[in-house]
Amino acid sequence: MQNRVGPSLTGPSGILQPLADFIKLITKEDIIPRDAKKTVFRFAPILAFSVIVFGMCFFPIDGTNIIPNSAFSGDLIFDLALLTIVNFLMFLSGWASASPYGSIGAARVLVQFLGYDIPLFLLALSPAFLAQSLSISEIATAQNIPFVILAPWAFILFLIAMQAELEKDPFDTPNAESELVGGLETEYCGGRLAFLHLTRDVQIIFGAAIVVELFLGGPYGPVFFGFPTFWYTLWFILKLLGVIVLSEYLASLFARLRIDQVLTGNWKILLPLSILSLILTVALATWIYPWVM
Amino acid sequence: MRSITTWARIKSPWVIHFNSGACNGCDIEVIALLTPRYDVERFGIKLAPSPRHADVLLTTGVVTAQCAERLKRIYDQMPEPKFVVAIGACACSGGVFKGNYSVVGGVENIIPVNIYIPGCPPKPEAIIDGVVKLLNSLKEA
Ligand code: SF4
Repeated sequence: MQNRVGPSLTGPSGILQPLADFIKLITKEDIIPRDAKKTVFRFAPILAFSVIVFGMCFFPIDGTNIIPNSAFSGDLIFDLALLTIVNFLMFLSGWASASPYGSIGAARVLVQFLGYDIPLFLLALSPAFLAQSLSISEIATAQNIPFVILAPWAFILFLIAMQAELEKDPFDTPNAESELVGGLETEYCGGRLAFLHLTRDVQIIFGAAIVVELFLGGPYGPVFFGFPTFWYTLWFILKLLGVIVLSEYLASLFARLRIDQVLTGNWKILLPLSILSLILTVALATWIYPWVM
Repeated sequence: MRSITTWARIKSPWVIHFNSGACNGCDIEVIALLTPRYDVERFGIKLAPSPRHADVLLTTGVVTAQCAERLKRIYDQMPEPKFVVAIGACACSGGVFKGNYSVVGGVENIIPVNIYIPGCPPKPEAIIDGVVKLLNSLKEA
């Protein structure tokens, strides 16, 4: 966008920039505002980061799981719940900083994810219904033909709900820089800020990974030679990058909505649409089933 | 270990811009730095939203009596290590406003300044040059 090249002088074509940012942040002075709720302020960002990384362990990336046998039959619900918990911890970290900008940003996070969680769960049910399983790895295995082709309506809505859940444009009201300074991060500096940024980034990968697993056939793809695990990991990463590019493209394409528009958009449009999409999936199930493995 | 931290600090200076009473000439030049034409984002320089996130304070303009306290407070909010760049003749010494009853003078009267960039207003190239000199002085230290 705008023909910007982005950071290009840190390491080979700038790929070390996030690392430089991170090291710089953790070596900076650590300030805790006088009125902040000290314990929550200290631990919420780090806890948020560890919870989201824990959630990543349930994705079958190389055809199995990162932690072997960590999958169980309800891990889709569990993973989506972890995403909610992370958002709640983000809210806590903003609220604990006792700054007006931080609290407004945090309140917006709360309002937004409480609303968008419901359509997200409903939409995640469509692939689960088609695969007749609530386990992420079984849903991924069931997709001989990816669900993005069999149920495109659910895919598009899921992408929108995910964009809102991850607070990206056009739904990034919680960290609207022009209104809220830094949103919930306003009072954070040093290492804690680094962890908040890192949580955001891992959240984006997490969301993209859920999309890949539910709609794009997970890590499965053609195996040409050698170890299947290598090819599965490769396919997974390629699909993941594809989804991230798509979501970043959407984010830079749209302007930010107001918080009231975000809310009406959710309750009046997205929620009914997601219920409709679930009904459509159930209604068409008899025709879709022959294509599912 | 030291060299890694220095490398990270040089590669990722996040700036915050504060106008303590400029005529807006210098501010426009600072904004020009961040736009695609000069695009200092290439060097990892990013405009931070809050003083708590920033490493470098870019101040423009003479310090008015009213702004002096605010400038000090913003400086105090920034976490160590922090650097101050005074941009423009006004920020360096008071410039055309020197001797006015309502101004305190240059930025150096309020907070320590690391680098001065004179000019009325300085060109964006001059500002980039100044920031590079600041970063190089970091490397030598
Ligand atoms: S140095 Fe010149 S352009 Fe800059 S604030 Fe002063 S009078 Fe304006």
